[in-house]
Amino acid sequence: MKQFLLLITILFIASACKEIYELPPQAMLQATITNPTTNLPMTSKVTYKGIGRDSIWVSATSVNLITFPLSTKETTSFVVSFDATVDTISFNHTSTQKYGSMETGFYYEYKLKSINSTHHRILSIDITDSLVTTIWHENIKLNISPLPSGGV
Amino acid sequence: MRILSLTLVLCLLAAFSNGQTHKVQKEKEKEKKVKPKREDNYIRLKGLRFGMDVTRPFQYLWTKGDRYGTEFSGDLEISPNLFPVFESGYEFMKIKTSYVDYSGQGSYSRFGLDYNFLQAENKNDKNILYGGLRYGFAFASQKVNNYLIDSYWGPTTGSFSNQNYFAQWGELLLGMKGEVFHNFYMGWSIRFKIQLNNKAIGYPPAYFIPGFGKAANGSNFDLTYSVYYNIPWDFRKNIGVKKPKAIVVKPKSVKKPVVKKPVLKKLTD
Repeated sequence: MKQFLLLITILFIASACKEIYELPPQAMLQATITNPTTNLPMTSKVTYKGIGRDSIWVSATSVNLITFPLSTKETTSFVVSFDATVDTISFNHTSTQKYGSMETGFYYEYKLKSINSTHHRILSIDITDSLVTTIWHENIKLNISPLPSGGV
Repeated sequence: MRILSLTLVLCLLAAFSNGQTHKVQKEKEKEKKVKPKREDNYIRLKGLRFGMDVTRPFQYLWTKGDRYGTEFSGDLEISPNLFPVFESGYEFMKIKTSYVDYSGQGSYSRFGLDYNFLQAENKNDKNILYGGLRYGFAFASQKVNNYLIDSYWGPTTGSFSNQNYFAQWGELLLGMKGEVFHNFYMGWSIRFKIQLNNKAIGYPPAYFIPGFGKAANGSNFDLTYSVYYNIPWDFRKNIGVKKPKAIVVKPKSVKKPVVKKPVLKKLTD
């Protein structure tokens, strides 16, 4: 009987420690803003939003790494402002639905096919890894022209 | 020279005697190591013992999701300290979060053997400490009623229809059973479950295996606590003992000795 009571107590303690469900993972395209002359990451004040969306994804943040959430459509486009100079980037990609678990749910992973952009500030874009997964890592290098004042 | 040869002989004798004492010591150690044979070579559990696992309806207390079920078992002491066991049950699993609404269910069975390590003090001592092996299998189905993938670009929703699957696993267990009242037992077991190679069922993969747990884990630990009742009917009494046929002993017909009457010949003249 004592054993049984002990077991019940353990069960109640265990139930108190029950884990909370994690959020589903998200795959993000990661871009490094690079100075093409030095080939080193450079900081820029960035604001960007998806074309067709009202909300801004990132607003006026000085960074050298930026992440783009891709859509399930074949093309995902963003309007990006680098220190008030605006460019448009379009990512052509495929998307694949993945299973995390029944606790965390489902998510999408992507494969980049090509990238198109305007060239107001962007000089070129290099794809370093075309697979966009939930383990965020550098997928592209955004080579942008440095500011005349030398914003490195 | 003589002294040298004498010393050599003495050395050899010493070495020989040393070897002899070692041999004797080893033999003594061997004698010590030989375990005494078990003296409880008799069947203590008469008849079948049926059990119900009282932890199965409350599994949601220590597992993720709403997992519950029922499980019944039956065992008997087929030979001294050896218990073939059969366990069978039904389990449900439900997970409902903002992202997934999942339900899985199915029946499962296990069979195997338990061996009692605890030597009985007398024939009434029915408590056992056992180790056991099981083979388990389940017929299950799962369904994703609804899922949602949230994104900056808007949510994606969907569902997956019913998927049926079969799964199998092996179990290693350690447990105790004790008689709390006459013919009533209680006992626990700790189980280590290893999944055997199961067929992939497609997308999404099987999440829950009734009687095993999470399918994504190759192995799982489990704890059971059961109550048992031993049907006090010794079936062995009726096996192998044929009822003696009623032998009708017919009295042998006693033949009366034929006494030949002496033929009296008429004496004729």
